Amino acid sequence: MRTKWSIKSKRVTKRLAVLSMSALMVAALAACGDSSNPPTAEEAGKYEVTPGDPFSAYKDEITVTMGRVTTANPKLPAGDTYENNAYTRLVKDTFNAQITDQFEANGEDYSRQVSLAIASGELPDMMRVDSKDELKELVDNDLIEDLTSIYDQYATDNIKQMYDSYDGRALDNATIDGRLMGLPATSLDSAPTMVWVRQDWLDLLGIQLDADGDGAISLNEVEQTALEFLKRDPGQSGNPVGIPFVNTMNTTDYNGSAYTMLGVASTEGAFPQYWMNGEDGKIVYGSTTEETKKMLGTMADWFKNGIIDPQFGTRTFDDITALYANGQSGIAFGPWHIPDWGLISAKQMDKNAKFSAYTLEDANGKVNVAHANPSNQFIVVRKGYEHPELAVKILNLFYDKLANDKDAATTMPEAAKYQETGVDGSTRPFNIEVNSATSLLDDYSDVVRGIKGEISLDEVRTTESKNNIGSIKTYLSDMDTDDVTAWSKYHSRINGVGLIDKLTQENKFVWMTPAFSGTTPSMKQTWANLTKLEQESFIKIVTGSEPLDYFDTFVSNWKKQGGDQVIQEIEDEIASKNKHP
Amino acid sequence: MKQGKWKARGRLGPGAMYHMMMLPGILFLLVFSYVPMVGIITAFQDYIPAKGMFGSEFVGLKHFMYMFKLPDIAQVVSNTLVIAIGKILLGTMMAIIFSVLLNEIRIKYVKKSVQTIVYLPHFLSWVVLASVVVNMFSLDGIVNQMLAFFGLENINFLGSNTWFQPLIIGTDVWKEFGYSSIVYLAAITSIDPGLYEAAGMDGASWWRKVWHITLPGMLPIILLMGVMSLTNILSAGFDQVYNLYNPVVYESGDILDTYVYRIGLVGRQYSFGTAVGLFKSVIGIVLLMSANQLAKKYTDRKIF
Repeated sequence: MRTKWSIKSKRVTKRLAVLSMSALMVAALAACGDSSNPPTAEEAGKYEVTPGDPFSAYKDEITVTMGRVTTANPKLPAGDTYENNAYTRLVKDTFNAQITDQFEANGEDYSRQVSLAIASGELPDMMRVDSKDELKELVDNDLIEDLTSIYDQYATDNIKQMYDSYDGRALDNATIDGRLMGLPATSLDSAPTMVWVRQDWLDLLGIQLDADGDGAISLNEVEQTALEFLKRDPGQSGNPVGIPFVNTMNTTDYNGSAYTMLGVASTEGAFPQYWMNGEDGKIVYGSTTEETKKMLGTMADWFKNGIIDPQFGTRTFDDITALYANGQSGIAFGPWHIPDWGLISAKQMDKNAKFSAYTLEDANGKVNVAHANPSNQFIVVRKGYEHPELAVKILNLFYDKLANDKDAATTMPEAAKYQETGVDGSTRPFNIEVNSATSLLDDYSDVVRGIKGEISLDEVRTTESKNNIGSIKTYLSDMDTDDVTAWSKYHSRINGVGLIDKLTQENKFVWMTPAFSGTTPSMKQTWANLTKLEQESFIKIVTGSEPLDYFDTFVSNWKKQGGDQVIQEIEDEIASKNKHP
Repeated sequence: MKQGKWKARGRLGPGAMYHMMMLPGILFLLVFSYVPMVGIITAFQDYIPAKGMFGSEFVGLKHFMYMFKLPDIAQVVSNTLVIAIGKILLGTMMAIIFSVLLNEIRIKYVKKSVQTIVYLPHFLSWVVLASVVVNMFSLDGIVNQMLAFFGLENINFLGSNTWFQPLIIGTDVWKEFGYSSIVYLAAITSIDPGLYEAAGMDGASWWRKVWHITLPGMLPIILLMGVMSLTNILSAGFDQVYNLYNPVVYESGDILDTYVYRIGLVGRQYSFGTAVGLFKSVIGIVLLMSANQLAKKYTDRKIF
């Protein structure tokens, strides 16, 4: 039934396309956007050796053009490039598919390339996009393939399990109008915001933090420590600063949550910027709740007492990092990996610098955490590309087969060699990570057992963990080492992830699952303004230029200026999703 | 008859050659200034890149209405005006005073080196200068150290809605007055030295000479520059404000350009951004025309 219909609809689409193009009625195209269907066995059989098989090769060599995200310094062997390396050759050998790069870029440049590709409509066959907004725009412009049934048909069980470990949120995020429009990267969950405190300063001043040793401290303890640091200036900078925060206050992106107030907020049970289920079943915006008001009250008190950096609001991210490097501040809010790229500058300036990781507990001794937005990166396939299933097959090859094949050294010697020598993962065709939700702690367990010698290096799941074991051993044998990498890996993996592991085992976390993550139609126009309103209002309250009760004015303004409409749209979207699961 | 026509053309011969030399310039103007004007259409559409300018849906004045409905627009426009007018007035005054004073320096190399030194900041971008300004005016910067030395209270210049506008205007004047004084210096050199000699004979003081000869001699240029700068009255300097501001001073520092950048471009609202750009240009033209008329009415000088 479905097949017949699809063939018909394709023909109709074609005719319509010709018609509308000749009449310059391009708008008509959008109407027939849902015409993509999985290749039937018969169709696929034209190309594939074993039709429908997750790893089957193509009969004739096919080509695929890609937009590639590069990094500044991949450790590629001489002669190899992004376009031609062990990984792309592996794709060629396995699938008989030749990868060529339509563009290669990194960072801002990559986003610009993607924007250009969208604006000109000349997309590579596959590329990574870095936000749900971009994904949505591609769908609105009818530029990418619907991957729903292809995913069902081709993805291996392992891949499906990994995505499913996020309770459906990973795939949900890439699903628009019930259609899977991209293959999402996963971002690891299970992590509270931590408070990193200079341990060498605590020792110097004889402060005993976290007396019960459970890794969780109260707001009051943070406050007292900050006051001591301010008063006694253990860094001898002559100009100590309490706790610096960035002016964005908050973010729903856990990995970007450094120097934000997420930690303070969660002790009050507040989750600013998250969409939450309210008590009456309605959608509530986390920034407008009473708990958030309480958090702002605490922050305002802190600001008045000088605990918060007096230049709060005007500091950039780099300014704040410099405060730690200068020894002006010893308390940092941030994720488990902040030692690797932020606090490491403190070690570079001061050989003695050591940080301990704590998390903040609420009045009941619990740690409130929000599930992270599971994915912000997606692999998309150009509309009209003949082999959309190749995207899923490449996913299978790298994130299932290569990652889990214990015998990779013989089956894929060249790629295995890459992994062993630590060639940057960005040289894989897709520069994304796909891991199960628990992989952070699984890797931690590998590292700990590896250090203790309980498992051999061959049993460690990832190359990254293998390298980390080496670094951490270096640090453990000489805690005053000049090797900053050893220092940072110890801090992030052992102090940081170790704390998460401990709290998970002790069942200390209280999880909040966001009700919605994404954008609605009216957000496109009003959201920037609402964000500005929120940011300005919060800063005014914290810095005391408006009283705490100004929060109520903010809430009513927020609702009036489009917030109510956004909430309505979200409720409608959720309602319609529940109707057609 | 036919022949006559040809002859007439033939007579244009020598002049036509010179006119031909304008061709590259005209082409340049056409391609880079006039053709892109077609893009203004997008201000009246819900522009979607893939559908292009002719495929996107027309929505009339929707984006303009939204612009005027935005709660902060009045504040943003007033910030823009205050900052832009402040820069024009103070900048022009500084440049005039500086050029008159510089003209009095008789030792050539002193004059040249002073000139070079004040030109210098003009050639640095705000990306670089902003970090200098931030360092100087932050709470632990040199300015606050000086204030503390004199027993004054510290001021968080970059985080204060009272001080942000003066800071923006002041630093811009500092950056640009040297360079814009070039024009005025040129104007002064074109004044007939005989006038000064005659005034000297009549016993005019230095101040009288400046007031009755130098300044009137510069007037056409001052007018020209003033009228020209009015076209930019809604462009208060994106680079400068963008590099110096932060959410604390949105209230006093947010100008149209920065606002549009955040609201329009970061959120990929192309049509909205175009609408605001068009709005700015229209205001610019109106101001230019009226200033030109006023100039004619009161000083009998016009620039076109």
